[in-house]
Amino acid sequence: MMTFDQNAFLIIFTASLIAISCGLLGVFMMLRKMAMTGDAISHAVLPGIVIGFLVSGTQRGLEVIIGAGILGILATLMIDWLRKKARVQLDASIGITFTLLFAIGIILISAFAYRVDLDQECVLYGEIAYLPIDLWITDAGNNLGPRIMWLAILNLTLVLAFITLFYKELKLTSFDEKFGVVIGIPASAINLGLMSMVSYTTVSSFEAVGAILVVALLVVPPATAFLWTRQLRHLIKLTLIIGVMVSLLGYYLAYLLDSSIAGMMVTVAGIIFFASVGFTRYRSKINFGTQNEAKAFSS
Amino acid sequence: MIKHIENPILEIHDLTVSYDQSPVLWNVDFSLPAGKLIGILGPNGAGKSTLIKAIMGLIQPSSGYVKIFDQDLDNVRNKISYVPQRESVDWNFPASVLDVVLMGTYGKLGLFKRPGKKEKELALSCLEKVGMTAYVHRQISELSGGQQQRVFIARALAQEADLYLMDEPFAGVDMNTETAIFNLLQEMSQSGKTVIVVHHDIYSAVNYFDWFIMLNLHLVASGPKNEVVTEELLRKTYGGKLNLLSKVSELIRQKEFNPLKD
Repeated sequence: MMTFDQNAFLIIFTASLIAISCGLLGVFMMLRKMAMTGDAISHAVLPGIVIGFLVSGTQRGLEVIIGAGILGILATLMIDWLRKKARVQLDASIGITFTLLFAIGIILISAFAYRVDLDQECVLYGEIAYLPIDLWITDAGNNLGPRIMWLAILNLTLVLAFITLFYKELKLTSFDEKFGVVIGIPASAINLGLMSMVSYTTVSSFEAVGAILVVALLVVPPATAFLWTRQLRHLIKLTLIIGVMVSLLGYYLAYLLDSSIAGMMVTVAGIIFFASVGFTRYRSKINFGTQNEAKAFSS
Repeated sequence: MIKHIENPILEIHDLTVSYDQSPVLWNVDFSLPAGKLIGILGPNGAGKSTLIKAIMGLIQPSSGYVKIFDQDLDNVRNKISYVPQRESVDWNFPASVLDVVLMGTYGKLGLFKRPGKKEKELALSCLEKVGMTAYVHRQISELSGGQQQRVFIARALAQEADLYLMDEPFAGVDMNTETAIFNLLQEMSQSGKTVIVVHHDIYSAVNYFDWFIMLNLHLVASGPKNEVVTEELLRKTYGGKLNLLSKVSELIRQKEFNPLKD
């Protein structure tokens, strides 16, 4: 019989925070048809992490986040440049950019392995199960709880602030970027801001869920929610609910099957997505023919 | 035949635009009067949309400049409105008709401010002008092509500008919508707004506009209807692509409008 314990709560709580941060950003990435750019960023930040690590000597340093942020933006600019100036197709630009940057990261890790307490496994897969034993202990010796949970709280706060402040601009530039440029909205700054937030979120989350699974949290909950609604506010709310569901079910399934929590979270996300596809297709078949015909316009 | 204007609302000087070294607009030079309904005519690939995009600063010209209200674009963005081609956006975007029209008010709102009651009322009155009041809360993914076009025009109206640039607002809309949009544009120009419209159908254009810009990579003509709608200039504009020379004369005859006699 499973009982509620504090460790389970901490893990689910942190996983939910990460899923919500990723989902919020993922909604706008999806609407900008940039879901795979999110994928690219999450891998391309690796050299930035390693360089930040070498500079600061710790994976907790601000340098790591700054390094990752710079690489994330660099990846975005590189994809954009390849597509617009070198006339490479978008998917090819993404593939070239992130594999190249990720490979540089791998080389850096192996070259400086003796100085870097960081391995590919950790970056790729993460391990949220260790969260309750990785505590934030102040200099005075107070135990404030899991370090990664605090990182996730800070991350979500900043993501929420970014999206609340720039909601109108994000919405407009996601729908019609050129119109935004014409009416004087700083569309490219908004775009770079979003990419920076994605880079930062990726770094903040990689210890917990890994670079690959961050992609799933960026892409799958928004895509699932988009099957159910065509209203932006509902889309965002539903994405958040799915994020929490994924964390909750993912944890307990992993517990039952004695498996990877992050892996199970993504599996659950995939199952919810396909169930939604099945259900919405079924529903549209039932409704077919009873839909209100749009009335012809008369002026 | 290029007629220049004193105190133009829009002045384009020696504008050349090229993609990948190959020019798509050559030395375009004209000036436009205020308060007119202006049509940009030309065959496919003549650079009509490119011209609009260059005016709106979406494309960097290789040479030349654009002055609007005798100013640089950045100083007068609040006075200009733009209706892009309908196909330039994904209509599956999760937004309602009202959401999209409200976007027209964002430029004047500035950063951080959200649209409030005043903006909402403005958006509703714009939707009324295009006859879309019944669709205010409809999701844009459920609209027909003509309705999408009306929503885009309502969004432009919500900008409360003085100069409107519209890229093919009549493309793929039914006759009913075309007439409704045209009546609206005429009202706008009568109330002193300047409306510039890219249009590809020369037959309806003759009825619609009172000033014409004829374009085929070069500027062929810019002037009032009775001076530039001539067989010679239309032939120069459409070149070999016009097997319609006879049709044009027929059209001019039908309209009992024959500039060749003047």
